[in-house]
Amino acid sequence: MKKRTAAAAMFTVAILATAAYAAHPGADYIKENGYKGPETCEECHPGKAKAFLDTVHWKHASKVTNVDGLDPKKEYGMQNRIYVMCNGNDIVNNLKEIPKNPETGKTKFSGCNTCHPGDHLNDVGSKGAEAEKAIDCLVCHSTAYDFRKRKPMKDDKGRVVMGQDRSKEAALAIGKPTAKNCMVCHEAAGGGVIVKRGFSFTKETDAHAAKGMVCVDCHKAKDHKIPTGTDPNNWANDGVRLSCADVSCHGASPHKDADLNRHTAKVACQTCHIPRTGGAFAKDFTVWAQNPDKFYEPTTLKLEANESSPVYAWYNGTVANTPHFIGPKGSKKDGKSKIYPFKIFQGKAFYNKKTGELLSMDFAPPMANGNTRAGVESAARTLGMKNPEQVAKEAVPGWQTIYFASSHLVTKTRALSCANCHAPNGVLNFKELGYSDKEVVKLTSPELFFNKVAAKMKEDW
Amino acid sequence: MKAVVSFLVVAAIVAVSVFGFTKGAQADEIKMVGVITKIEIEGASAKTATATLKDNKTEQLVVITVNDDLTLDKFKDHRIVEGDEIRCKYEVIDGKNISRFFRKTAGC
Ligand code: HEC
Ligand code: HEC
Ligand code: HEC
Ligand code: HEC
Ligand code: HEC
Ligand code: HEC
Repeated sequence: MKKRTAAAAMFTVAILATAAYAAHPGADYIKENGYKGPETCEECHPGKAKAFLDTVHWKHASKVTNVDGLDPKKEYGMQNRIYVMCNGNDIVNNLKEIPKNPETGKTKFSGCNTCHPGDHLNDVGSKGAEAEKAIDCLVCHSTAYDFRKRKPMKDDKGRVVMGQDRSKEAALAIGKPTAKNCMVCHEAAGGGVIVKRGFSFTKETDAHAAKGMVCVDCHKAKDHKIPTGTDPNNWANDGVRLSCADVSCHGASPHKDADLNRHTAKVACQTCHIPRTGGAFAKDFTVWAQNPDKFYEPTTLKLEANESSPVYAWYNGTVANTPHFIGPKGSKKDGKSKIYPFKIFQGKAFYNKKTGELLSMDFAPPMANGNTRAGVESAARTLGMKNPEQVAKEAVPGWQTIYFASSHLVTKTRALSCANCHAPNGVLNFKELGYSDKEVVKLTSPELFFNKVAAKMKEDW
Repeated sequence: MKAVVSFLVVAAIVAVSVFGFTKGAQADEIKMVGVITKIEIEGASAKTATATLKDNKTEQLVVITVNDDLTLDKFKDHRIVEGDEIRCKYEVIDGKNISRFFRKTAGC
């Protein structure tokens, strides 16, 4: 064991040293020839750009097999989903210049698509040689990116484009993606810092960040297919998955303590190791408030990382999906479920009076003048719905509840231990989770842990 | 239905902890929302910077000293720039407004 740790430590030092000192082998070429976009990289990494066009990060969509009510032949993701964390999507809330604010006469750029590594002319899901050339390789691979350049603007033809840093300086600082590269988009997803997923990845908030690990140490990607887990609200995927219990990471029996290992069959690692969550817990898209700059915005209630408690539920990897609920399916009895922690979020938006379906919104009109129904009408028109005007006029406000996975903010020192669950005031509501009265009595008795905790107490003092 | 009920419980807990947070330990922190009018930072290795914010409520200019690495990094690579609206909490120490929390209000 000791030996392995020492070897691992040396290995880590070696990797860090390489990262810090060995420059990217392409640097000389780039110094000489400049950076012209992906075609420069393709000189030595042929096929990368083309393969990238086939990933979730370019398409914001994929086939989805584990969610209720979806067409298995169609692709779903941020490109086209309608739900209440973001009531718009790449289609209805396309990046554009919004109408003028009536009080100030000013306009601004707004819309989804800013979380896309393209130039907007070659947008989410676009294909072909032009799309290949438009990929922003450096946003994920450079440590010297100047983010002043990555913003929406108008080109000389008056078209709205997303800027990129394609400078030689940025292209000379190439490496595998750092946590910051990934957090460029993931930190502020959902309308602000620590909103959507409620996680920050710092040494204070995550045991792995404290060890110097970065996103891609776990999310190891091949051909730009970045693995994901089974978050009920992360539908689009590249067909590769990761989990804490992967053999290449910890396996299913990572503890010296056999009592803890026995739990991993029914209790997910996250349940004990991610005891807190954070981020947005409620948002209202039906009424937007005016800011001092006179533009309007929806109101979000939110907390910092680790400031709220998760909700616990059985989860077997399949997802319930209705206009008012997106969340885990599973039960104590199905033999496939484990108890997982979830970050709960509730959003208020408009529903179709006739069908009960959730409607989506183009943010441009309400941002300019606060008229949210005009946003619903614009989205309905873009989607080719019949009578968009009437749909918007009759639309009924309502709430949708979403269960998000809680996959980061990992802790060892504050991991839940015996009494956190097996005391009568423990974090799990055994009865609601489907345990019988008799089982609950047993599961909330100190009998289960008394001797163990007593022995540990002696050891610690 | 069950899900809704249990959420109400969560909301109650959240509400309590929000109030607990603001009334308790954070008593001497001042909160503001304002737009950055100026950022002053010296070089790529700077360990401190100042940002001048125009308070949305009072329209006064407030000079904030920023020392945390994550925010300094965002000044250096221009993820935070002049014109951005910021939610800030700071403490007055030796006459300086030391930032404890410095976040862009916007996101996507
Ligand atoms: C003149 C050839 C050349 C050019 C041009 C080039 N590279 Fe490389 N690159 C290499 C070689 C050689 C390696 C090391 C072997 C490998 O991983 O394929 C490498 C490695 C990499 C790695 C892995 C780094 C790591 O630490 O794991 C990345 C990422 C990368 N290159 C991205 C790029 C990007 C993005 C561009 C365009 C800006 C680019 N390269 C241009 C030759 C080049
Ligand atoms: C340009 C913005 C952007 C950057 C940079 C970015 N992401 Fe993403 N990422 C997204 C968006 C948007 C989605 C959601 C796609 C969807 O659900 O349709 C996503 C989805 C994901 C997912 C879940 C879907 C999947 O692909 O499996 C993972 C995991 C992920 N990103 C990890 C990363 C990692 C790791 C990095 C850094 C190497 C990174 N992302 C960098 C925008 C970005
Ligand atoms: C959304 C973020 C993202 C974008 C955009 C991106 N990459 Fe990558 N790239 C990654 C990740 C993640 C890895 C895998 C790192 C790992 O697992 O160590 C990777 C790895 C690589 C590698 C190393 C070899 C390999 O395939 O593992 C090369 C070369 C590379 N990328 C080139 C490019 C080029 C060229 C572009 C632009 C056409 C590009 N990347 C755009 C995230 C990105
Ligand atoms: C210690 C390993 C590890 C590190 C480091 C890590 N992740 Fe993850 N991540 C996971 C695992 C495991 C899951 C899936 C959990 C599951 O569903 O069982 C996941 C899930 C995700 C998802 C899908 C949504 C969700 O929350 O489940 C996204 C997006 C994501 N990670 C992004 C990132 C980004 C960005 C970083 C870096 C800032 C990062 N991850 C760092 C292990 C890691
Ligand atoms: C029933 C709660 C529980 C579950 C489930 C659980 N753990 Fe743990 N784990 C703990 C506690 C408590 C500790 C701290 C033990 C200590 O401090 O000695 C710990 C420690 C660890 C450690 C550090 C071990 C060491 O020797 O330092 C790792 C790694 C770990 N767990 C990974 C996992 C993984 C991976 C899973 C899922 C397969 C998992 N845990 C499931 C409670 C749990
Ligand atoms: C995250 C909450 C959690 C923690 C922490 C936890 N347990 Fe459990 N424990 C459970 C659950 C849930 C079950 C029931 C699993 C099942 O359905 O089979 C259980 C079952 C048990 C059982 C079997 C009871 C029976 O049915 O006979 C024992 C014994 C036990 N736990 C002891 C411990 C001890 C000792 C610790 C501390 C090392 C501990 N538990 C920590 C949640 C927890």
